[in-house]
Amino acid sequence: MDLTIAALLTQDGITNGAIYALLALALVLVFTVTRVILVPSGEFVSWGTLTLAGLQLGKASGIVGLVVGMAVLAAVMETWRCIRARELVRLPRALALWCGVPLAVATLLAFAAPMRLPLPFQVLLTLAAVTALGPLLYRVAYQPLAEASVLVLLIVSVALHFAMVGLGLWFFGAEGSRTPAFSAASFRVGSVTVSVQSLLVVGTSVALIGALALFFGRTLHGKALRATAVNRAGARLCGISPEFAGALTFALAALLCAFCGVLIGPITTVYYDSGFLISLKGFVGAIIGGLTSYPIAAAGSLLVGLIESFSSFWASAFKEVIVFTLIIPVLLWRSLRTQHHEEEEE
Amino acid sequence: MMRRHGAVVGMVVLLAVLPLFAPAFWVTLANYIGLYSMTALGLVLLTGVAGQTSFGQAAFVGIGAYVTAYLTTRHALSPWLTLAIGLACTGVVALFLGFITLRMRGHYLPLATIAWGISLYYVFGNLEALGGHTGLSGIAPLTLAGVALKDERRYYYLIWFVTLAALWATHNLLDSRSGRAVRALKGGLDMIEAFGVDAARLKIVVFVYAALLACVSGWLYAHLQRFVNPTPFGINQGIEYLFMAVVGGAGSVWGAVVGASLITLLKEWLQDLLPALLGRQGNFELVVFGILMVLILQFARDGVWQWIARVLPHPAPHPVVAAPPLAPRARTAPAGPLLEVQQVTKRFGGLVAVDDLSFVVTPGEIVGLIGPNGAGKSTTFALISGALPLTAGRVLLGGESIGSKPPHEIARRGLGRTFQHVKLIGTMSVLDNVAIGAYLRGRSGVVRAALKLDRAEEAQVRAEAARAVARVGLSAQLHTAAGSLALGQQRIVEIARALASDPTLLLLDEPAAGLRFLEKQALATLLRSLKAEGMTILLVEHDMDFVMGLTDRLVVMDFGLKLAEGSPVEIQRNAAVREAYLGGVA
Amino acid sequence: MTLAKSSAAAAAALTLTLLVAARPVAADVTIGVSISTTGPAASLGIPQKNTVELLPTSIAGERIKWIVLDDATDTTKGVTNAKKLVTEDKVDAIVGSSVTPASLAMREVAVDSGTPMISLAAGAAIVDPADPKTRWVFKTPQNDALMADAVAVHMKGAGVKTLGYIGFADAYGEGWLTEIRRSAQLAGIRIVAEEKYNRPDPSVTGQVLKLMAARPDAILIGASGTPGATPQKELAARGYKGRIYQTHGVGNPDFLRVVGKDGNGTVLPVGPMLVYEQLPDGPVKKAAQDYVAQYEKKFGVRATFGGHLWDASLLLAQAIPEALRKAKPGTPPFRAALRDALEHATVTGAHGVFVMTPADHNGLDNRGRVMVRIDDGKWVLIK
Repeated sequence: MDLTIAALLTQDGITNGAIYALLALALVLVFTVTRVILVPSGEFVSWGTLTLAGLQLGKASGIVGLVVGMAVLAAVMETWRCIRARELVRLPRALALWCGVPLAVATLLAFAAPMRLPLPFQVLLTLAAVTALGPLLYRVAYQPLAEASVLVLLIVSVALHFAMVGLGLWFFGAEGSRTPAFSAASFRVGSVTVSVQSLLVVGTSVALIGALALFFGRTLHGKALRATAVNRAGARLCGISPEFAGALTFALAALLCAFCGVLIGPITTVYYDSGFLISLKGFVGAIIGGLTSYPIAAAGSLLVGLIESFSSFWASAFKEVIVFTLIIPVLLWRSLRTQHHEEEEE
Repeated sequence: MMRRHGAVVGMVVLLAVLPLFAPAFWVTLANYIGLYSMTALGLVLLTGVAGQTSFGQAAFVGIGAYVTAYLTTRHALSPWLTLAIGLACTGVVALFLGFITLRMRGHYLPLATIAWGISLYYVFGNLEALGGHTGLSGIAPLTLAGVALKDERRYYYLIWFVTLAALWATHNLLDSRSGRAVRALKGGLDMIEAFGVDAARLKIVVFVYAALLACVSGWLYAHLQRFVNPTPFGINQGIEYLFMAVVGGAGSVWGAVVGASLITLLKEWLQDLLPALLGRQGNFELVVFGILMVLILQFARDGVWQWIARVLPHPAPHPVVAAPPLAPRARTAPAGPLLEVQQVTKRFGGLVAVDDLSFVVTPGEIVGLIGPNGAGKSTTFALISGALPLTAGRVLLGGESIGSKPPHEIARRGLGRTFQHVKLIGTMSVLDNVAIGAYLRGRSGVVRAALKLDRAEEAQVRAEAARAVARVGLSAQLHTAAGSLALGQQRIVEIARALASDPTLLLLDEPAAGLRFLEKQALATLLRSLKAEGMTILLVEHDMDFVMGLTDRLVVMDFGLKLAEGSPVEIQRNAAVREAYLGGVA
Repeated sequence: MTLAKSSAAAAAALTLTLLVAARPVAADVTIGVSISTTGPAASLGIPQKNTVELLPTSIAGERIKWIVLDDATDTTKGVTNAKKLVTEDKVDAIVGSSVTPASLAMREVAVDSGTPMISLAAGAAIVDPADPKTRWVFKTPQNDALMADAVAVHMKGAGVKTLGYIGFADAYGEGWLTEIRRSAQLAGIRIVAEEKYNRPDPSVTGQVLKLMAARPDAILIGASGTPGATPQKELAARGYKGRIYQTHGVGNPDFLRVVGKDGNGTVLPVGPMLVYEQLPDGPVKKAAQDYVAQYEKKFGVRATFGGHLWDASLLLAQAIPEALRKAKPGTPPFRAALRDALEHATVTGAHGVFVMTPADHNGLDNRGRVMVRIDDGKWVLIK
């Protein structure tokens, strides 16, 4: 292996690692606030790419119907909740939020799709559609189970993953799609070609991570989410409803995943079931960060990306074996170093 | 008793005659259900009861299947020998994975099992000797006592015999000395470790047990299909097993069977129903299946088994039968003090929580450790019980250094304790909670328990626990779930649990907190009677009235330092103590 | 809870659920189809499922019932489906699965129950060698070997001396690797690099760099459907100048859509139906046209995988009348007669001419494949 190859592999590893890092952040975010391990994050990613690819062909895909269906379901659930809690005053606002906004997004998507708008508008439409699914998914599937154990929430996630893979096959078909490159340009640094597209991926990831940091550090909603992550009951006492925090988190996570989807679309072919393996690697990064630390999760994801890239060069048949068994020595080292007690969880 | 035996016999008879009248495809499905149940059963124990999530069970199934597939087809070994080899391989892998992950807290087992599940899939797929991704065919059917089990109806009996045996063994295991400790794992490790359970070791044992069950299932699978390839052993199938356990009800051994049945049959049923309902275009099975599962969990988050259990009559608790008392713990009466705390220091970063503290507790006395909030009492307590390692100094129990030893080692040396924040397992009965205390007084391991060879000892443990409960005056609540007791009673149960361990030194962490006046009086009476029987007690307490009337000696702490030591009367007169407690007012 | 209470409930649950699973039994000729319409091989199974819609509902005056099941590209499910078809539906023949591992596993059921089975998967091992294990099993797709030989011959003609291989890390990629090793050796071509990748991998940069470092004259990509485009686009991006070969697995319009202009010049072997319009007039062209016209009318675009199921139905259509003369459908003698008839069937299908013999349960020869080149998003027959 010469330096050029090493540089190309590093570039490839960092590009993929940046994608995994975004996913890891989404997973950590959702886990800390709601204790949900968001297995369907991968589907958000692939739906991001495939929806954009559909818009390229002037098709709005089944996602419109899904948003409408879930919005109606959420509206019914909200109405029922308001009636039971005798809080009919809140109903109009809840309906506007849970039904109005998603329906607006769906309508926009359905109308704009055949117009073949320029790429940036299509990207915005895609992000809006996938992001709308996040809170709806939380409202319909998770909120009734907010107090359940981590294990039950995990299994719900798996069930949703199954359902969404099935829907993905129905909406987008078994074959994959690519989206056009935002930029086909590339330039040379020494003997190495750097593609603008990978720079774009890494840049967007860094920007999003920075934006998240600002959001959590500076804004009221961000601080509220952090508070909920630390203590649900306490957050409620401070007037932050866990339901709101959950929905907001899912919106953010879906947005991050949709970004991933839009970013990888031009680099690789995405299939209805692509998301699982990608999100699994983000998950590995997230667990390296203990599902709580954002910086370690991001670093772990980057590491996964790099190991993957280099092992696909050295021994592609055993690539996954290498990526996943390299975790074992890390664990072994931590285990031998660990004294008999670490801080108790939960 | 008759009805219970009747139900068991009824079920076995039903399972026994099923192949005689049922259509062949029922038998096919029942075979798969049996195989899946076995793996899910391991997960019930590991994930549902012990709280450790594994995504890698399918890979253990794969080891069982591939070992026998490879060795019987390529080396013509007997399948019964390959079962043993498969179990050995599984055991080694599970021990290794368990060793590196289960000693740590946190989400490391899920990570390691994902890594393991995925890696093994690709190893199977890339080894040409194992048939690669295409698979290995031509595996011979099993032969049992000269009868070839090629016919599914015959194979059914083998599968269900093994499955029922696994259910029986797991059920026994949960109702045993180790089983109580496993059930208590989810309640935090501090408690069981304080009663001598090596929690890390126990978790590893459970993990290995679950892996071995999966391996047996894989061995049976290979000889049923007579073909293996990597796909049934990948990470997706690993998740599916977890799915079965949780949807069925991960808290009960029957949850595994219910989950495996439900998911297998539901998929079959959807495959028949949906095309008729929604037309032939598209594939809605997966979508409908996923949505149904979410609905089920929304209405039965503890799994479907809870619905079934609800309609069944509640069983009467096992009665406690008279049994010879357990042997008292071996102890050497120390010539000098029982507990010596020598120049103990604990720093958290720059903060000195305990500073050069020394005191002793001699056999047969009640010593109180008191001080204002933040004085370092709880830290001292944690240093003695092993919950925290020392920064400097020594702690001796009966002349032997116990400082910085893990809690379960200290418990072995005769320390029994209670917790400031009550640590009982709410869903377990008072009797079972107290029996955890007697963990170190039993000997039976997992194997004896699973084979039900521990009944004599178990009767003794239960009788001992019942005696401890009687001693604290809670016999009426013996079979009540601990979580439904009032806080005061729960504190008393904690003491009973500590007593069941037959301690040489009893450590009580704020035993009177939250108690009403009469309860406090009863508690004081109990402690005095314990002292009269020769028990040595060290207690941390806030309540001065309670402490003054009860203790022989007091150690007062403030800002991590020892402020004073002496009899209650001396302490009451001590100006420094009054200053610390009452501040500038005095 | 006690064992007793639990046992009673579990027993009740088991009985109830099993009762739900009971199904009626049909008469007439029943053919069970178990294919991969979901899971990783969904792109193979879906056109096959579509093709079932085009199949005749009666042959020789006898009603034919087609039962379609999905095996989700899973071996266990494939076997369960096969057992269900055999024991519940009492099928007279099984068609499937779409993939090699599931077909190999289902073979055991077919042999045990004495039910003829026609696999739609590529692996030659399904019907090779002719022995008791393959007695009941037939297959319609071209063997990998037949295709690999054609590729090797074309390479030799084009002056290729060294070859790099990159393929799926699954049974498909593995089957092609095995066959191309053999064919290349016969053609005097050296394989200088062998790489694998997963269907949904986001990047194959590492593998492609490794391939290019070995400087092969040509690269063969062993993949099916749109994922075949992933290494090809990466090779183009890295400036690979040698020849690129694909396998018949990518013979669908989606591949052309995804690979775009990077696909130009790619050569691959396919079944004749993909380019039937360009074939010289003859029985194969007519048979292919017959199928493709019907399929395209209903589903828009052609896909070669559907043709394998179509061909299986043609084989059955020829064998069933013969078997009907010997026994009644739904009986073991009928299935045995059907098997015997299949073993001597000669049929011209969408993918070529099948001449079944006891030694060859695939029956395709050189008429079963043509070489095509991708030219501006179109398949062009190489004459």
